[in-house]
Amino acid sequence: MALPWLECMSWGSDLKPPRNRFFAGFFAYGVPMPLDDASDRLRNGWFPVGTGKNYVAPAMHESIMPLRDKITFLSGLSHPSMRSTSAHKGADYFLTGADILKTYDKQTISIDQHVARSIGQDTRFESMVLSSFGGVNRPYRSSTLSFDRAGRPIPALNNPAEIFRRMFGVTTDTERNALASRGSVIDEILGEARDLNLRLGANDQRKMDEYLNSVRELEKMTARAVEWQSTPKSKVDAQHLDLSLNVTSPREYLTVMYDLMALAFQTDTTRVASFQTACEEGGLTDRFPSALGLANSSHKLSHEKKDYDDVAKYLSFLNEMHANFIHKLDSIQEGDSTLLDNTLCFYGCATSKTHQATNYPIILSGGKNMGFAHGSHLNYSDEIPLSNLFVTISNQVGGPTESFADSTADISEVLG
Amino acid sequence: MMAQQGSRLRLSQSDLVSTLTSTLVLIFACLVSFAPCGGQDIAGQSPVATFEKSIRPFIVKYCINCHGPTMQKASLRLDTLDGDLQNGNMADTWQEVLDLINLGEMPPKDFSRQPSSQERRAAVTSLTTEFRRVLETQRSTAGRNIIRRLTTYEYNNTLRDLLQLDLRFSTDLPPEGAASEGFKNNSSVLGMSALHLEYFERIARSALSRILLVPEEKPPSYVVRIEPELAYKQIAESQRAIKTQATYNLRPLVAGKAKHKGLFKLVYGELLEDATGIVLAGNRPIDPVNTPFSADRKIGGSLGDGRSGYQPEFIAELYEIPPNSPVRVTIRAAARPGKGHSLPRLSFELGSFRGNGVSDQKEAANFELQSEEFQNYEFIVHGANFPFQSNKPSRPSYLRIFNEFRRGTSDLAYEDLPKLMIDWVEIESNYYPEWPTAQNKAILIETPSIGDELEYVRDVLRQFMKRAYRRPVSDHEVERKAILYEKLRPAHESFEDALVSTLTAVLCSSHFLLIAEPASQPITADTIAPPRDLNDYELATRLSYFLWSSMPDAKLFKLADQKLLRDPQVLQEQVHRMLKDPRAEAFSKNFTSQWLDLDGIRRLAVNPEYFVFEEKTKDLFEKESIQFLHHVLTNNLSLDNFIHSDFVVLNHKLAKHYRIPGISGGFEVRTLGSEHHRGGFLTQASILFGNSTGSETHPIRRGMWVLERMLDNPPPPPPPNVPELTVAVVPEEEGLSLKQRLVAHTNVQSCRDCHSKIDPWGLAFENYNALGQWREGNIDPNVKPPHQQVSVDPSTKLQDGHQIQNLHELKRYLLTDKKEEYRRAVVRKMMSYALGRYLDFRDRPAIDSICMALSTNDDKIHLLIERIVLSEPFLSK
Repeated sequence: MALPWLECMSWGSDLKPPRNRFFAGFFAYGVPMPLDDASDRLRNGWFPVGTGKNYVAPAMHESIMPLRDKITFLSGLSHPSMRSTSAHKGADYFLTGADILKTYDKQTISIDQHVARSIGQDTRFESMVLSSFGGVNRPYRSSTLSFDRAGRPIPALNNPAEIFRRMFGVTTDTERNALASRGSVIDEILGEARDLNLRLGANDQRKMDEYLNSVRELEKMTARAVEWQSTPKSKVDAQHLDLSLNVTSPREYLTVMYDLMALAFQTDTTRVASFQTACEEGGLTDRFPSALGLANSSHKLSHEKKDYDDVAKYLSFLNEMHANFIHKLDSIQEGDSTLLDNTLCFYGCATSKTHQATNYPIILSGGKNMGFAHGSHLNYSDEIPLSNLFVTISNQVGGPTESFADSTADISEVLG
Repeated sequence: MMAQQGSRLRLSQSDLVSTLTSTLVLIFACLVSFAPCGGQDIAGQSPVATFEKSIRPFIVKYCINCHGPTMQKASLRLDTLDGDLQNGNMADTWQEVLDLINLGEMPPKDFSRQPSSQERRAAVTSLTTEFRRVLETQRSTAGRNIIRRLTTYEYNNTLRDLLQLDLRFSTDLPPEGAASEGFKNNSSVLGMSALHLEYFERIARSALSRILLVPEEKPPSYVVRIEPELAYKQIAESQRAIKTQATYNLRPLVAGKAKHKGLFKLVYGELLEDATGIVLAGNRPIDPVNTPFSADRKIGGSLGDGRSGYQPEFIAELYEIPPNSPVRVTIRAAARPGKGHSLPRLSFELGSFRGNGVSDQKEAANFELQSEEFQNYEFIVHGANFPFQSNKPSRPSYLRIFNEFRRGTSDLAYEDLPKLMIDWVEIESNYYPEWPTAQNKAILIETPSIGDELEYVRDVLRQFMKRAYRRPVSDHEVERKAILYEKLRPAHESFEDALVSTLTAVLCSSHFLLIAEPASQPITADTIAPPRDLNDYELATRLSYFLWSSMPDAKLFKLADQKLLRDPQVLQEQVHRMLKDPRAEAFSKNFTSQWLDLDGIRRLAVNPEYFVFEEKTKDLFEKESIQFLHHVLTNNLSLDNFIHSDFVVLNHKLAKHYRIPGISGGFEVRTLGSEHHRGGFLTQASILFGNSTGSETHPIRRGMWVLERMLDNPPPPPPPNVPELTVAVVPEEEGLSLKQRLVAHTNVQSCRDCHSKIDPWGLAFENYNALGQWREGNIDPNVKPPHQQVSVDPSTKLQDGHQIQNLHELKRYLLTDKKEEYRRAVVRKMMSYALGRYLDFRDRPAIDSICMALSTNDDKIHLLIERIVLSEPFLSK
C-alpha cells in the first residue's frame, strides 16, 4: 500500500533540534527455540546465533536484515518480578516491569508513558496507544501495553478509521464549539464530585478515584486540544489508506496500523506510540496465522515443541510487518538523517519459549541521533532486569531517571 | 505428547524458588488485585488448619528428606515454609510444589518412598481446594456491590431510554472484556479512563444536539409511494411467464415532490389477479408452467440456503434520501396462506450500494403476516442505524422486501406456498410526526417558568437530572448546573446551545455513568461500612439494570417516589411487569451470551476444508440460544429446559443446518421428534461449535464448558507448560480413534486426575460434529471429503463410575444425579449477573434458600428471578 508521504513536511535544516520519538511494540506468545545444534536452528529459531557484530540472524528476520547496522538484537533480559508468572500475562507488565504477581495494585507506569511525559508535550497528542484487540480487556489479559502514572491501563484504539479521525480528521465547527465549553463542563463535574463528598468504603473509593483521575486527565487533554486548535491538523490524504480494515485481514490491518503510526511520527502529531499486535486471550487476533494459510491459532503454534516450521512462518510474517514499519521510518528524510534515526523502536515479547517469562526476544532499532548504536546481538545473563534498558531509554529518549521499576543499573552497550 | 513435559524437570533441579511458575496463582492473582478486602475465611474453618491436616503429612512423608532441615535441594525448605496460603508470602512456592506433585515429577522416581496414586491425588485435591478458597476470598468484595461503570451496552440502552432516541451510541467506545466468571457487568472489569470520558462527552453532546439544535420549521419530508403493478405492466406480455423481472423509473410514481429520483425492480414476482398489486412467494420456479420446482432444484441449490428456484423480491432504489433521519416505511400487504395454513413472512431491509457491486444492508423487520385482508404495516426506524445512505450521490439507497417463507426441504408446490401480497409501499424520510419532536419536548418541558430563562433552566435540569441520576436531585445539585449554564450562556448563540453543554455535563457526571450506592454513615478509610438496606431508588436501579440492562422507567420511579418498592409484594409485581416488557429481551440477550459464552462463536473460524458454511449462519447460532432462553423466560418454564427441552426454537435456515426437514419460516417454537436429537442448550450449535476446533469436535472444551457453565465447577487449570491437548492427530497416534487418543492422554498420571473429570463429559457429545450437526457411525456426510471418515462413539464413563451411552443419557444424569449441583450453578450464575460482582461465602445463605425454594416449585425461572430480587444480597448494600 502506497502511503501519502508528506514531502512538504520534511523538516528543514533551519529550525528545531531533532525530535525524539519512541515506539514500543509487542507480539504475543513467545518464540520457538530449537536447540543450537538442531538442523532447523537457523531456519526456525528466533534468536540469532553468536553474539556481537558477527552474529547470524535466522531466516525469519530476513526482512529487517538490510538494516543490520540500525538494529540490535537483545537476549537474556526479563522482568525479575514476573519470571515465575504463568503464561499470557505478558502485555500487562512488558512495558512496566511492575511486580504484579500477586496483586494488580502494584502496577506502575509503562516506559512509553514515562517517556511521553517528557517528549510528548509539544505535539497534539501526548501519545498514541494502539492494539489490535482494543480497549483494556481485563487484568492479566491486557489488551493495552500502556499504563498511566497510577498504574491504570490506558485503553487502546484498534479501529483505523477512528484513529485517523482523531489524528487527522477535519475539526468541525461543532467540535470547535464543543471544545470551547468542555473546560467548564469538566470543571463542573470535578467540582460536583468533590462537593458531594460521598461516604464510600475503600473499594468504592478506589473506583471513585479512578473516575476523578479520568476527569483530570481529560482536563489536560482538553487544555492541550484547545492549545492546538488554531494549528490545523496535518493534511493527510487518506485515499491510499484503507481505513475500513479490521483484524480479519491481518496483513492489511497490521500494515495500516503501522502506517498510521509512521504518519503520526512523520507529521509530528505524536512522538510516542505503543502497539500490541495481538492479545493473549484467544479471539480474532489469535487467528492471525490464517493470513498465511496456517491452520492453527497463534496460541497453538506457540505450544509446538517439535516441528517449528509453521510457527516460524507466522513469526516471519510478524517480523515482516514490523520490518516494513522500520524500513518506512528509515525511508523518510528528516534533515540530514531519517525519521528512524530520530525514533527509538523497542519491539519484543514477554515470553521466550512457550510460556517461559525469561529471556525476552527483543529488537531495538533506530534512535541514532539519541545516541543508540547498533549492529550487534547482545546476550545478557538471566539476572539482568529488562528495566535496566528502560533506564537507558529514559536517559536517551526522554525523562532522565536513575531507575525504572526494579532496575539495578543501565545498559550502556546499546549506546555508541 | 506427554514427553514434552520433560522440559519441566529442569525447573525441579534448578533454583526452584527463583523460577517459580504458577498457574493457579494466575487465576487467583487475577482476581486478588481488583478488590482486596477483609480476609475472612470462607467456610468458617481455618484454611491453615486444613493445610496442616491434609497437606503437611504428605510433605513430611515424601518431601522433607530433600527439602527439610538436613538438606535443601534447589534451596527449597518445605518444613518451615509458611502454610498460610492466604496471608502468607509463600503461596507461589506452594503452587509450584502442587504443580510438581501433580505432574508426578516430585518426589523423584529414584526416591525410596513413593506415594500411591490415591495419596498423590488426595494431596493435590486438598491443595487445589485450598487455592480455590483463597481465590474466592481474595477476589471477594466482602459480599458488597462496588461502584461500577455502566457497561457499553447498558450505557447505550440508558441513553436510548433517557433521550427516547434509538440510536447506536456506543460503537466507538473501547471494547470490553468479561470477568473470569464470564460476566461483563462485574465492577472489576469496568475501568474508567480519560478516553472513555472523552467519548462519553462526545456521544452525549452529539445526541443532545440532534434533539435540541433543530430548526424551528419541520424539515420537509421526502415521500415516495410505489405502486408495483405499474412497473409490472411495463414487461412485455410475452415475457411475463419466463422473465418476470421489471425495472421501472420511479419518477411518475412519486407521491411527493417530483424531483425524487428512483427505480423500482420487481424480481420474479407476479401480478395480483385484479392487477392492483403483486404477489411474492418465498421461492419461484424460473418458469412455473414448463419447469416446475422439482426440475429446477439444481438451479435453486446454487442459490444457497433454503432456496429452491429464485427468490422473488421487491426492490426500490432511491436517490437523495435525507441522511440520518427517522424513516417511516408503510407496507400495504396481505397474506395468502399456503398449504397447511402456512403464512408468509415479510422481511424488509434497508441498505445502499457501495460501488463495485458491493451493497450493504440490514434487516429492519421480519414478521409473520396473518391477515388475509390488506392492511397497512407501519415501521419507524432511524436511518442512522442502517447503511441507508450511500457514500456517493450517484449510488442509490434501497429498500428490499421479500417473503421469508421458504420451501426449505419440503416438497410444497409453488401453488401451495404461502404468498405475500403487496398493494403499495410508501417510504417517508425526515419523518417527524410532531414538531418539535417528542424527544425535544421531553427535555424542554412546559412549565410556568418558561418566561424566565434561568428559572426555566432549573426546571428543565431538575426533571432531566432526576432521570439521568436515577434519583431525586437536591436543589444544590440543580443549582450547580444552573450556575454552569449561566457561565456558558454568554459564549453560546442560543439558549439551546448552552443547554446542550450543560446537559452534556449531566451525562458525564459520575452520578450518571457510575452506579454507586454510598454508605449511610461516615466511614474512615479502613473501616468497612456496615451493611444497609438499599433505598428505593437504588433498588429501582439494580432491578432495571438486572432485567432491562437499562435505567428505571417512569413506573419504577413513581414507586420509588412513593417509597413502595421495598414492599415484597410490589417488587414481585414489578418483576412480572418488567419481564413482560420488550426491554426484558436485553436480559435474555446479555445474560445468555455471557453465561454461555456465546462469544465463542466469534472466536472460532469454520474450516472451509471441512465444511460448506456461510458466515452469516453464526448469527443464527447466537440467536437460537438467546431466543430459546427468552422463550423459557416469557413462558415461565423450568430451568430443566436448559439441559433438555421437548421443544426447540428454530427458523428454516437453522433447521436446514441441522438437517431437519419440513421446517419453514422464521424463529419459532417448534416440537421435534426425538429422532432429531435436539433440546436444551447442550444440543445447540452455538455451544457445540463454540467449543469445537472449527474442523473437528473438541471433547475437552465441551467437557470444560459443561463443568464451568452448567455445573459451576471448573477444574483447576493445567500445570504450567503442559501443552494444550489437541485433538489433531500426531504421527505416533495415527490410526487411533479420538477416544483412544484421549485415553492415551488420560493414562498419564499427571493428566489423569483432571482429565478424568473433564473428558468424559465432552465425549458424550460425540454425535454432534464441529458445527453441531448430528452424525453417527463411521461417516459424517456433512463434512467435505476427505474428512468424512469418523468413528463416533459417545459412550463414556464419568469419574464417579456412572456409565453414559450418549448425550441423552448425560442430560438425564444431569437432571437426576447432578440436579442439585446444576440448580445451584444456575442460581449462582444469575445471582452474579444480577449483582454485577463475584459471589462469596456471605451469599451462601441466600443461594441455599433460593435453591430450596426452586426445588419445591419445579425450578420455574420466574421464581428464580423473584427470589434473587427478594434476597438479602440484592436488597442491601
